[in-house]
Amino acid sequence: MVDIKMYINSLFNAKNILIPTTKQNLLDEFVRSVDCQEAVNSIIENQNFIMEKWKIKNRVADIISHQIVIPNGTIGKHYEAKIDFNKLNFTDLLFETFEGLEELGLSFNKVNSAIEGTPTQSGDFKIKLIFKIKGESESTSPNEKLISLIINPDPKSLWKDIPSDTNDLFWKKDDVTEAASLGDRHIVVASKRGRSHENVGSFRDDDFAYKYFEKTGWSVVAVSDGAGSYSLSRIGSQLACNAVLDYFENHHDVEQNKEFESKLIAFNESKDEMLLKEIEIASKQNLYKATLHVHNKIKEHAEITSKEHPELFNNPKAKTLLDYYHSTLIFALFKKYEFGYVLQTFGVGDCPIAIMNKDQSQTTLLNWLDVGEFGGGTRFITQPNIFHSKEHPMASRFNFQIVTDFSYLFLMTDGIYDPKFVVEANLEKNGKWIEFMEDLQGNNEDNLKVDFDYSNTEISNQLSNWMDFWSQGNHDDRTLAIVY
Amino acid sequence: MRRLPVYFLLDTSGSMNGEPIQALNNALSGMINTLRSDAQAVETLWISIITFDRVVNELIPLTELPMFQLPEIVCPQSGPTSTGKALELLYEKVNKDIRKGTPTQKGDWRPLLFIFTDGKPSDLQLYAEMLPKIKSMNFGAIVGCAAGSSADNSKLKELTDTVVHLDTADSSTLKQFFRWVSDTIEQGNKSMGTTDNVAMPPPPSEVHLVI
Repeated sequence: MVDIKMYINSLFNAKNILIPTTKQNLLDEFVRSVDCQEAVNSIIENQNFIMEKWKIKNRVADIISHQIVIPNGTIGKHYEAKIDFNKLNFTDLLFETFEGLEELGLSFNKVNSAIEGTPTQSGDFKIKLIFKIKGESESTSPNEKLISLIINPDPKSLWKDIPSDTNDLFWKKDDVTEAASLGDRHIVVASKRGRSHENVGSFRDDDFAYKYFEKTGWSVVAVSDGAGSYSLSRIGSQLACNAVLDYFENHHDVEQNKEFESKLIAFNESKDEMLLKEIEIASKQNLYKATLHVHNKIKEHAEITSKEHPELFNNPKAKTLLDYYHSTLIFALFKKYEFGYVLQTFGVGDCPIAIMNKDQSQTTLLNWLDVGEFGGGTRFITQPNIFHSKEHPMASRFNFQIVTDFSYLFLMTDGIYDPKFVVEANLEKNGKWIEFMEDLQGNNEDNLKVDFDYSNTEISNQLSNWMDFWSQGNHDDRTLAIVY
Repeated sequence: MRRLPVYFLLDTSGSMNGEPIQALNNALSGMINTLRSDAQAVETLWISIITFDRVVNELIPLTELPMFQLPEIVCPQSGPTSTGKALELLYEKVNKDIRKGTPTQKGDWRPLLFIFTDGKPSDLQLYAEMLPKIKSMNFGAIVGCAAGSSADNSKLKELTDTVVHLDTADSSTLKQFFRWVSDTIEQGNKSMGTTDNVAMPPPPSEVHLVI
C-alpha cells in the first residue's frame, strides 16, 4: 500500500509548494480524503503501467537488435540450427512461430528448439521470429525479429556442361574410352574432360596412347596431363603420348634391343648383379632418348605453329614457345619373357604408375611424383631443365623392374589420383590399392562396376561410367589406363 | 581436397568513413554472392578478411565459402592507416592457416592476396620491414588496389607488380573491381609450373592497371 502522505509530500516538494507547520493538520485531513486517495492510487497505477510498457518495449527492442547467427545451409543437405532461447538470455520470450521457413523446406522443431529440414531454395533469406514477451497483453500484436539465413545452391547443380568448340584449330574430343588387347594382356583406358572444363567449355588437357610393337614385342602405355594454365597444353599432352609411341615404333634401335634382350636372358640365368647394372643403364639410356624425342617433337610443333599462327602465342607469362605446351608425362614399357615381365618406366609430373603383383599382396609405385608445396605446382616434359636438374636428376625418373607376373598395371593422371588416393603416401600402401580395385569393382556410391574379365566386351563403357564419380573439389580431367 | 585460400586486407581508416565504406560493403557482398553461384568457388574457396585502421582486426578467419557470412564492415571517423601492422598479422595468419603439400597432406592452392586501400601506410617502417616477408610467402597472386585520389600507388607497387587504381571509391566502381577480383579468384586453381603466378583476366574499364 502506498503511503499517500509521502506521495503527496514529494509531489508538493517537486512542485515547490511548501507546507508551513501551521497547516500540517489541514494537509493530514486532505490526505485522508477519499478523492485524494483515489487520485493517488490511480496515478501510481498509471505510472506502473507506463513503466511496465516501457520495460516491455525496451526489452522487445533489445531482443530484435540482438544478432542471432545461424549457420548457412545447402540445398538438399539436411539442416539443423539450434536456437537456444535460454542461452541467448531470452528466458522471457514467448515463442509463437517462425515465418518464412516453410517455403525454404524448413520448419521449427519446438522439442529440440531447432530449425530443421532439407532446404529446397538457395539465396540470402530473412526469416521472421514471431514472439511476445512475458507481460505483454493478449491483445497486442506480436513482435517480429529478422534472422538472416543463407542457403547455398547444391554444388552439383552449379556445374554447366558446355561442349568444347569443334571448330577450334586444335580441337580434341572431350571424352575418349578404349579397350584392346596389348601384347599378351588387355588394356582398358578412359580419358574424360573434367567438370572444370565442361563448366567453361574448354578442352580436355589429358591424353593417352598405347601400342604393341610387333617388331620388338614390347608394349607401351603413355599418359599425359596438359597444364591447365597454358593454352596449348592439350596439344602438348597429345604430342607427348604420340611421340612416345613414335619413338618405340620408328626409332627404337632393333639391334640394340636384341643386345639388351640377350643380356636380360643371360642375367636371368646368371643373376649377375654387374650385368643387371649394365641392363639398367642401357634401359635408362634408351628411355632417355625417348623422352628427348618427345621434348623435341613438341618443340618442333611449337616452332612451326608459332610461325603459322603467331596469334596463339600471346601469353606474357610464357618465356619460351614450349611453355604453351606444358604437359606432364608418364609411360610404361613392358614385355613378357619366359621368366616374367620386364618393365621400364619414366615419369615427370604428378601422375603415378603402379603395378600390383599377381596375388594382389603388393603394389609398387614405379615413379616419384613432382608435387610442390602448393597445389598445381609440378614439372613438365616441356621444361628443358628437367633434363639436367641436379636437384631432381633425370636418371631418378626412370625405373626398371623384373616381375614374375602382375595382376594390374595402372597409369593415371591427378584427376584420378587426387580424389582416390588424396596424398602421395597412400600410393605406397597396398591396402589403398585394394580399396581402389574394390571401388572399381562396384564398391562405390553408384554401384558402378568394371568387370576385368577378358570376355567382357563392355569394359570400356563400364570404366567410362565409373569415371564420372562425384568427388567434391576434384573436377580435373580424369585419365585412367589399366593393363590387366 | 585442395583449398584455395584468399585473403582480403581492407582499409577501414577514417577516410573510408561514409559513402566509401558503404560502397565497399555493397561490393563485397555482391562479390560473395557471385562466388556462391560459381561451381568451382563453392567447393574450393576459403576466405579471410582482415581490416586495418588504427587497429588491425582479423574480422573473419579463413572460412570456407559455403559457411561464410559477411558482417557489416565499419570504420572509425578518423585515424591512421596501419598497413604495416596488417601485413604483420597477415604473415602470422598465412603461416598458420596454409596447408603445404607433404606425402601425407594435400597442399592448398597457392593463396591469393587482395589489399585494398584509399590512403597510404602510416606505419612506414613496419610496412617496409614486412614487404620482403610477404613476398617470400609464395602467393599465387598479390593484387593491390588503390582507390581515390589520395591513395598511394607507389607504396603498393613496392609490394606487388599488380596494382590497380580506382579513381573513386563509389559503389559502381567498387562493384566492377570486385567482379574482376572474383574472375581472378576463378583463375587460382589451375595447375602450373612451381613458380608461375596466377594469370590475371583483363581488368574492366573503370580499373586502371598501374604500370
